[in-house]
Amino acid sequence: MASETQVLVDDKSSVRILTLNRPKQLNALNSNMITLLMQLFLEYEEDPNVKIVILKGQGRAFCVGGDPLPVFRDIVIQGLGKSWRVGADFFSEQYKLDHFMATYSKVQISILNGIVMGGGAGISVHGRFRIATEKTVFAMPETELGLFPDVGASYFLSRLPGFFGEYVGLTGARLDGAEMLACGLATHFVPSSRLNALEADLCKVGSSDPVTFASAILNAYTKHPKLKQHSAYYRQVLDVIDRCFSRRTMEEIISALEKEATEKPNEWISATIRALKKASPASLKISLRSIREGRFQGVGQCLIQIITTTCLTMQGCRAVVIDKDRNPKWEPRSLEEMKDNMVERYFERVDEEDGWEDLKLSPRKNLPALIIAKL
Amino acid sequence: MSENCALRRANVLANHILQSPPHPSNNSLAREACLQYTPPEVNESYGFQVKEMRKLLDGHNLEDRDWLYGIIIQSNLFNRKERGGGKVFVSPDYNETMEQQREISMKRIMYFLENGVFQGWLTETSPEAELKKFALYEVCGMYDYSLSAKLGVHFLLWGNAIKFFGTKRHHEKWLKDTEDYLVKGCFAMTELGHGSNVKGIETVTSYDPRTEEFVINTPCESAQKYWIGEAAIHANHAIVISQLEINETNQGIHVFIAQIRDQDGNICPNIRTADCGHKIGLNGVDNGRIWFDNLRIPRENLLNSVADVSPDGEYVSAIKNPDQRFGAFLAPLTSGRVTIASCAIYSAKVGLAVAIRYSLSRRAFSAVANGPEVLLLDYPSHQRRLLPLLAKTYAMSFAANDMKMMYVKRTPETNKEIHVISMGLKALLTWHNMRTLQECREACGGQGLKTENRVGHLKGDYDVQTTFEGDNNVLMQQVSKSLFAEYVSCKKRNKPFKGLGLEHMNSPRPVLPTQLTSSTLRCSHFQKNVFCLRERDLLERYTCEVAELQERGKSREFSFLLSHQLSEDLSKAFAEKAILQAVLDAEAKLPAGSIKDVMGLVRSMYALICMEEDPSFLRYGYLSRDSVGDVRREVSKLCRELRPHALALVTSFGIPDAFLGPIAFNWIEANAWS
Repeated sequence: MASETQVLVDDKSSVRILTLNRPKQLNALNSNMITLLMQLFLEYEEDPNVKIVILKGQGRAFCVGGDPLPVFRDIVIQGLGKSWRVGADFFSEQYKLDHFMATYSKVQISILNGIVMGGGAGISVHGRFRIATEKTVFAMPETELGLFPDVGASYFLSRLPGFFGEYVGLTGARLDGAEMLACGLATHFVPSSRLNALEADLCKVGSSDPVTFASAILNAYTKHPKLKQHSAYYRQVLDVIDRCFSRRTMEEIISALEKEATEKPNEWISATIRALKKASPASLKISLRSIREGRFQGVGQCLIQIITTTCLTMQGCRAVVIDKDRNPKWEPRSLEEMKDNMVERYFERVDEEDGWEDLKLSPRKNLPALIIAKL
Repeated sequence: MSENCALRRANVLANHILQSPPHPSNNSLAREACLQYTPPEVNESYGFQVKEMRKLLDGHNLEDRDWLYGIIIQSNLFNRKERGGGKVFVSPDYNETMEQQREISMKRIMYFLENGVFQGWLTETSPEAELKKFALYEVCGMYDYSLSAKLGVHFLLWGNAIKFFGTKRHHEKWLKDTEDYLVKGCFAMTELGHGSNVKGIETVTSYDPRTEEFVINTPCESAQKYWIGEAAIHANHAIVISQLEINETNQGIHVFIAQIRDQDGNICPNIRTADCGHKIGLNGVDNGRIWFDNLRIPRENLLNSVADVSPDGEYVSAIKNPDQRFGAFLAPLTSGRVTIASCAIYSAKVGLAVAIRYSLSRRAFSAVANGPEVLLLDYPSHQRRLLPLLAKTYAMSFAANDMKMMYVKRTPETNKEIHVISMGLKALLTWHNMRTLQECREACGGQGLKTENRVGHLKGDYDVQTTFEGDNNVLMQQVSKSLFAEYVSCKKRNKPFKGLGLEHMNSPRPVLPTQLTSSTLRCSHFQKNVFCLRERDLLERYTCEVAELQERGKSREFSFLLSHQLSEDLSKAFAEKAILQAVLDAEAKLPAGSIKDVMGLVRSMYALICMEEDPSFLRYGYLSRDSVGDVRREVSKLCRELRPHALALVTSFGIPDAFLGPIAFNWIEANAWS
């Protein structure tokens, strides 16, 4: 596929509709798409005619995140020595895009009509409006891959109600549209059959204030769907989540869950424990720490911390994604073996002598009003 | 920035031209003229790694602290409020009644319990476990000092009394249950008639060999237990400090366990309690009063690590001297003082973070006609008000950390030193906090009066720190007396000084230069010499004066009383020098770089502001009038040099935004209509 068609652009007077167009790869982001998106978003921010930017995906996914395969392949070919540098280039572009969106002065509306994972969340959740539908499936599956939720997830997960963010980030639990709306990851819920009409209405923005205008249109379309029967967002499950995922360490979280499971066994709790036991112990501890630190950081700081951690994580965990036998052998193998000082290493500053540079986020004008991201 | 200036100018001009009420069509222009909030981060840059500085300041258990901050912020129990653009704040609701505040405080403690916050607080004894306890305790106090006070009563007073005064049988029976809150303890020591003077307590306990029971009595109204935290409602057990009378001989102060309520919270027979009522702060703590009317408790309830009574009523103690016995009883109060001092510094940090962030976003008056208004912290006078307090808070933070380390690694040999240092620092740090909060409150102007902005209300809550666990003035007198004893004992035995930081007394008296240049004033060697000289000279004067009075036939105690002025100067000199030493030690460990540089500025500011503020330097001639003038000029210079670091220095406190008030952030949006 020609690289320029990987992001389709539809020009509707004051509205630009961008469609991620790699449906076979579930719209996974490659560096070409990231560069294109960055160029387009930059251009629209400057262009006084553009009021609203709509971002959506072709096919059954919105976006499953950064496409890690080329990056990992490069790491293997180039050997260990320079591995972080290759990753750093890919991820720093992606995080710069996330940051740009988080501080965007125009209205971004992401239509999440399908799968949203990892980096897909990074290019949508930071934006002003996120529309879920009955087809939405959201997950941060990184711990299962030996990575950890990046793309500013430590910012937005840590700001979900109670300890739901820890739950979503650590277990990789799937959320549907109704749950996304309930926890605040989505701002609206619109049935997919109404999306075309919604887009058409949004295109009538004219000279009115785009935020007020878009809010009014979206509020008119939004539905309040019922949570599914076994949703984790029902009060009694949320209470368990808050009781267990608030614990100080990963070990304590798991033992709290196990205690609950003995006292009141149910399918949700066994699935949750299974997911945690299957995940990389190193990833779990790094993810927990990253969410906990993220709670006190601005979105920019979260991204700067994350790139350091990501690149270090990739060195440690790279073998897993490439060996696709689905039976990963984690190193270290247990939570107990992943000591505090080993976790600490991922959060320390990398020495500048090694040629490392912290992520440089471009200073944003209008930052005063927008220094707090929109979630 | 230049764009902003230009815009502001244009607006000032526009307003000037449009002095009559603006024409309706000029609405947009009028709106542009409004003030805009600019976060301090936009115009201030960090000259050093704030994350690294935070590691130095907090010193230990950063992740545990962050975890506790996080579970407070994420829970609905902590009066979470969104203000101004989705910014979340947590702070107690001070508009609740005293009864409501007590109940919600207890609920918060139960929430911590469920989350394992108190795990090992009494049952683990390693230095690591104690440091973790200190860290979590400090975080509780930053949310609401009522929580710390309640926990202090339960763990540090009730729990530690059992731990230190009790023996195996008490430990097994009580410690784990206390940690799990199956029993709720209080500590009944102070009485209406006796607070600091514990020896004078009037509650009296006798022994009945027929039933093998102790009988506790409140013989008169002044013997009622008073100010007993948790006694009004929550506690079901009490440590009772009482005189012990065996066969009509008073054996002095002893420590007992008494149940005061049953598991349902009903008062036990032979006990009367009453409420101490509404207070100027800390209303989450149910302070109460207790009377004992022939209350009988089992013989085993005497905490018998120091002394015991046999079943047939014979008194046995390993320590024969009642004075020493008394000293052994009071030793556990040290841990209380250590936590009080460290909590005081965290409170000062909250005040300074709020006031300095506000001063970096609030403007007042223009320096030139029609020019932009000046940022508060760009006024030299405002710098002078806040930055020296900031430097002192830094210095005291290091001293508090050293004290905690010394405490958790304590040995019988270091006990005396910890005792003296903890008295001095408890007094100095809690006074410093009160003074800092008042200055910060004023620096926040009217906004400082709102409880949501934290600073003002902290004053009411933390005020008690200057009184409990030893009145500050009494503690400082004790410090001087201890130094006196040390001096006399070294001179008498003709031995060199060792410990308490007095080793400098073994060297010749330092000579200070007459001409003080800027670089001399900032030299750590010079600063240390000045502080040593003051301490040494005051100690000599004090011992001399006390000795003279004794020679004239006054008793030792009375001589101390008469020498109160020197005593006050000496104890301050001692504690301030200990703090300087802590900063110097922290600084010496740092590699060359931006953090060391800024620490040097902070240390110099601390040293010089102490010199400027304490009249002793001039009174006793350690510094000449000219030198004092030089010190004052240098303080002003240091204010200018610290000004660019102000934001980074308060950010390094590591306090989550949610723990500060709305005025520390976008106070325009936080106060906007709707």
